[in-house]
Amino acid sequence: MSPATTRHPNTSEPHVSTVKHLIMVENSPSPLPERAIYGFVLYLASQFGFFLYCLWAFVPEEWLHLIGLTYWPQKYWALAVPIYLLVALTISLVILFGVNMNNTAPLDSVDNITDMYAQAQGTNSCHKGGIPRIKDVSISEVNKMFYLSPQAIKSRN
Amino acid sequence: MEDEAFTDINGKAISLDCHSHSGFCREFTVSSPKVSVGKVMVYTCCVWLLAYTVFFFTQNTAVLSSAILITLVGMMFHIHFVKVDHESLLVIGSLGIQVSSCYASGRETTTFIEMSKIKDIVINEAIYMHQIIYYLCVLLKDPAEPKAVSSVVPLFQSSKPRLNCLVKVYKSCQEILSKC
Repeated sequence: MSPATTRHPNTSEPHVSTVKHLIMVENSPSPLPERAIYGFVLYLASQFGFFLYCLWAFVPEEWLHLIGLTYWPQKYWALAVPIYLLVALTISLVILFGVNMNNTAPLDSVDNITDMYAQAQGTNSCHKGGIPRIKDVSISEVNKMFYLSPQAIKSRN
Repeated sequence: MEDEAFTDINGKAISLDCHSHSGFCREFTVSSPKVSVGKVMVYTCCVWLLAYTVFFFTQNTAVLSSAILITLVGMMFHIHFVKVDHESLLVIGSLGIQVSSCYASGRETTTFIEMSKIKDIVINEAIYMHQIIYYLCVLLKDPAEPKAVSSVVPLFQSSKPRLNCLVKVYKSCQEILSKC
């Protein structure tokens, strides 16, 4: 990283940092100081959330009533929600595979040969000496190239 | 004609027979292996043993008779509708092609496609379940629009030969198709 792109997160001039934002053009997934801070905050928050969840799940109902927390979900859901989530995750994995296979074009569909974008490629004439436009090679040509011996092509032409 | 060791996409042995009736008429027949007696016996024994264990616990004789009926009906259904004995492709130059499959019970289904509708016969690769296979197919065109492919008819669907067999059939077909 060039020295011009290093930025101080606690800048006293937010205007300068936004200008430097505009100079950095690419959106790369590389580590940045801000991303480290976001990650650490998320980590702390998730650990604290888990601690609170365990607290709610283990503390007996009477104690919660004594404090004043009376209208909270049944303890049944402390087990049910994680199990539901895990089962849903497993089933969605299987269903994803199935949906993929279902959406695959069958062997007798035209989608295996061509599609509307390929058919829209007209026979544009190129300028003299210019590079012709990129175009799909028809499957008949490809087959001739692969499977017919060069002598057969020459004798045909 | 000579028979190399052709196999289908799963590795089972098939045989290809190329017969040249005349200069512009050729017939290709791909034969699958016949129903093996051992497999039939194994399936029948499994189903009947299962039925006998259910009968052992429920003491209901309807289980046994229904198992016998199911095996009989299942076998008849299988050899009449499912098990293909051989598939053949008959190419007649400037007339058309005829695709027929013959089932194990003797039933035969035939389709004729006239030459004006045929754009080409090609080997295409496509995704089939979890793998990519080569298959021979007829590209059909609408006579009003000769440049566009209107539909695709795959050939040898039950036997699904591998590429060496398909290349042989393809080369032979192209010789005839290029003459007309």
